[in-house]
Amino acid sequence: MNVIILGAGHVGSTLAQKLSDIGHRVTVIEKDPHAVSLIPRNRVDSGSIIFIHKDGSKASSMVDAGIVDADAFIATTGNDSLNGLTAQRAKIVFGVEKVITAVKGEGSRVLHESLGITTINKSNLASDQLVTHLSELG
Amino acid sequence: MYLVIVGAGKVGIPLASSLINEGHEVYVIDHSEEAVNEVQRELGMVATVGDATQPSALKEAGLSRADVLIAATNSDEVNLATCQLAKLQFKVPRTIAVAHTPENAALFDLAGIDLVVSATDLVLANLTTALPTHPLIRLMPLADRSVELIAIKIPASGTVVGNKLTDTRLPYGTKIILLINTDGHTKSLDNDSVIEAEDEIIALSSTNSTAELWEILTELR
Repeated sequence: MNVIILGAGHVGSTLAQKLSDIGHRVTVIEKDPHAVSLIPRNRVDSGSIIFIHKDGSKASSMVDAGIVDADAFIATTGNDSLNGLTAQRAKIVFGVEKVITAVKGEGSRVLHESLGITTINKSNLASDQLVTHLSELG
Repeated sequence: MYLVIVGAGKVGIPLASSLINEGHEVYVIDHSEEAVNEVQRELGMVATVGDATQPSALKEAGLSRADVLIAATNSDEVNLATCQLAKLQFKVPRTIAVAHTPENAALFDLAGIDLVVSATDLVLANLTTALPTHPLIRLMPLADRSVELIAIKIPASGTVVGNKLTDTRLPYGTKIILLINTDGHTKSLDNDSVIEAEDEIIALSSTNSTAELWEILTELR
């Protein structure tokens, strides 16, 4: 699958690596070139994860990231409303089949779900990771 | 009518003020305490601090009994989310959103917002109105943009110059409603009205037919 991820924060970086691990083509849009990404350098250098340093709130950046051929779009910025707007652009304008938003607020979760967008809860995701890390410690 | 305005900025405050003057009940929500204080100083206790992307803030503003919600913050994503919450969860009959970029205006239309005001398009329309040489000016969209009010400048060497209005073949769905001559006077429209060089024509046009109307009226000899 071709997957586009908006935002290279904790959620976006983690998802990018996991999806790349299981064989998906992953493109990450992150407007801040200095944003500290948790994605290892070699994954980017080898081209297994592609980075696009552009403002993902613009349709042109999504096009540059290959939205036209994307099977899934995942918005993971820290702004629930921006995640909602970009997910709707991906879905309505570009016809992407699967759109997902990371949300913090319950209001955003309900709204996005009612618009046919799958949501993941940021804090749940973090606690899942925490559990994974702790279990690795044995 | 009860109208809730989100965003106490350059658009929200004057809008609230004029709606109150017209006798409507108005309530303003903004996330900034400073902005809300300004509204309260100017217009009274008709504003509250809140995050309008949160259903709780909208509920407090009595959104379920609102006739209209106007989202006029500086943030397009907030305007979209607020209008969609209003529509889906509070069943507000009419939602209006300001979109700051044209591509977001198009998205808002597709996303089901009842009326989208494109800030960039408005500024462009005003600027082009100020340019006397511009041959086509879109003055106002009507009926959800399916019809528009337009102004077309007749070129001095246009093929329609000297024609009677009644003899000029116009595309389906277009109607000339006013002729303005170069000194700024309107001409009466009757069977004998003649199109003269550099007249400005004001017309109603179905949006699909505007390009064809423009071609006919600006064709050069």
